[in-house]
Amino acid sequence: MAIEVKNLIKVYDERRVIDDVSFKVRDSETLAVVGFSGSGKSTILKLICGLVEQDSGDIIKSDGDIAMVFQYSALFDSLNVADNISFALHERRDLRKKYTEKQIRNIVAEKLEMVGLKGIENKFPSELSGGMQKRVSFARAIVTGPNSILYDEPTSGLDPISSTLIEDYIVRLKDETRAASIVVTHQMSTIERTADRVIMLYDGKIVFEGTPREMLAKNNEYTKQFVTASLEGPMHMLA
Amino acid sequence: MITLKQYYRQSATYKILRGMLRQFGSFLDTLGKITRNGIETAKYIFHGQIRWNEVIEQCRRFGISSLPITLSIVSMTTIIVSSQVANEMVKQGGGSFVGMLLTILIVRELGVIMSGFAIISMIGSSLASEIATMRVTEQIDAIEVLKVNPIQYLFVPRVLSGIIMMPVVLIIASVVGVLAGAVSSNLASGLSYISYFDSMWLGIYMKDLFVSILKAVCFGGTIALISCSCGYYASGGAKGVGQATTKAVVWSFVAIVIWDMFFAIAFFF
Ligand SMILES: Nc1ncnc2c1ncn2[C@@H]1O[C@H](COP(=O)(O)OP(=O)(O)OP(=O)(O)O)[C@@H](O)[C@H]1O
Ligand SMILES: [Mg+2]
Repeated sequence: MAIEVKNLIKVYDERRVIDDVSFKVRDSETLAVVGFSGSGKSTILKLICGLVEQDSGDIIKSDGDIAMVFQYSALFDSLNVADNISFALHERRDLRKKYTEKQIRNIVAEKLEMVGLKGIENKFPSELSGGMQKRVSFARAIVTGPNSILYDEPTSGLDPISSTLIEDYIVRLKDETRAASIVVTHQMSTIERTADRVIMLYDGKIVFEGTPREMLAKNNEYTKQFVTASLEGPMHMLA
Repeated sequence: MITLKQYYRQSATYKILRGMLRQFGSFLDTLGKITRNGIETAKYIFHGQIRWNEVIEQCRRFGISSLPITLSIVSMTTIIVSSQVANEMVKQGGGSFVGMLLTILIVRELGVIMSGFAIISMIGSSLASEIATMRVTEQIDAIEVLKVNPIQYLFVPRVLSGIIMMPVVLIIASVVGVLAGAVSSNLASGLSYISYFDSMWLGIYMKDLFVSILKAVCFGGTIALISCSCGYYASGGAKGVGQATTKAVVWSFVAIVIWDMFFAIAFFF
């Protein structure tokens, strides 16, 4: 079991943002997490990668690296693209001195080509468009060969072709590395192309769990409302 | 019917007391965080886990941005003081002690405290806003997820650069300050350069120079540590960055005055 979450609770300002959530993600499986803005999706990812401490519940992870692609890229704006991507290779204690500068340059070039951004090594994040930043942050996250990958809205704000590129890459990476992936997304195309299973969050709780096909079948009031983007249904915008 | 307790809860006294208690709590919280970061930073420095490239880069930044303002503040303060006292002293026949007086003043207090203020406003505020921005844009989260220690990556080179560069800046500023005192005493009251520089060494001992350098080391490290820490715990977007910067400046000011008092008691009482 690559990632297992049991009875997770996270309280912010006396509100249960994550309220008794449990799920599992196996190796080489991709779980999509969907839900309203503010339903706690980013919080779940931050809990899993240890950036935030849970109030109760367990998170069980298999050994190895866990990577995260942040919702707003979070590129280091004082470093150029190449240094952003090679950050872990240069700065992490167990990886420092593992590669020569030349090898690192090759790795960076290879990752950039993979995300369709060949030859922008010397640009700074502020010189890139939002979508380009997202793809660079994708390259930065996977540079260490992680065995679990968390994606926070990897395709939002991207044009359909770049989205497809990223989606294909999520799938390819999973097949190659057998990584367990969690993809937070609003986009049906990303769910359909990448996910093996989907969970839907509302008000900190799981209100649907199933395959993408089951989600589209509209048997569940919540997913029905989500898929049809309807204002009518059990979910309301939370204040 | 309201109980006494409910009545008390609505009273102004209760609200003021509660507010003060909260303030005190957050003060202790900040103090604890700064101390903890300081200990961790020191641990990395003593274990020699230092990226010298980055230290040199930070030192360069420290020197370039703080020297102009430090030099001008220290020399202008000297000019102000000398224009006040040099005239009187020359009139009273104490002209041969003007050099001594100004040098004591600069070496013992003025140089280091004025450099401290200049460095807080130039370096402290920029460190705090830089790191606070990294916090609110999740760059520090990204550092952690990439399994790099943010204290080691961000704090160690910045605190070290404060420790290394503040004495350097202080020495340059003091020399320039003493020279400015000579020029201004000469212009304001016709004091000769010879009598100024002759008396310069009368009141200065090795101990003064040593204490002054030691102060600069402590001030520089403290300013960098406080500024980085205030930035590190920023939250809440652009407003949070502003608040962190203000906090860094205020805390640094208070801290160096406390340091200064400590030194005065320890070495000159
Ligand atoms: N550091 C924090 N302090 C206080 N409340 C927080 C904090 N982080 C998140 N929250 C609250 O937790 C809830 C969930 O936030 P989260 O970022 O996980 O939502 P999300 O599902 O990722 O939304 P979006 O789709 O807009 O990214 C929100 O109501 C938010 O106000
Ligand atoms: Mg989010």
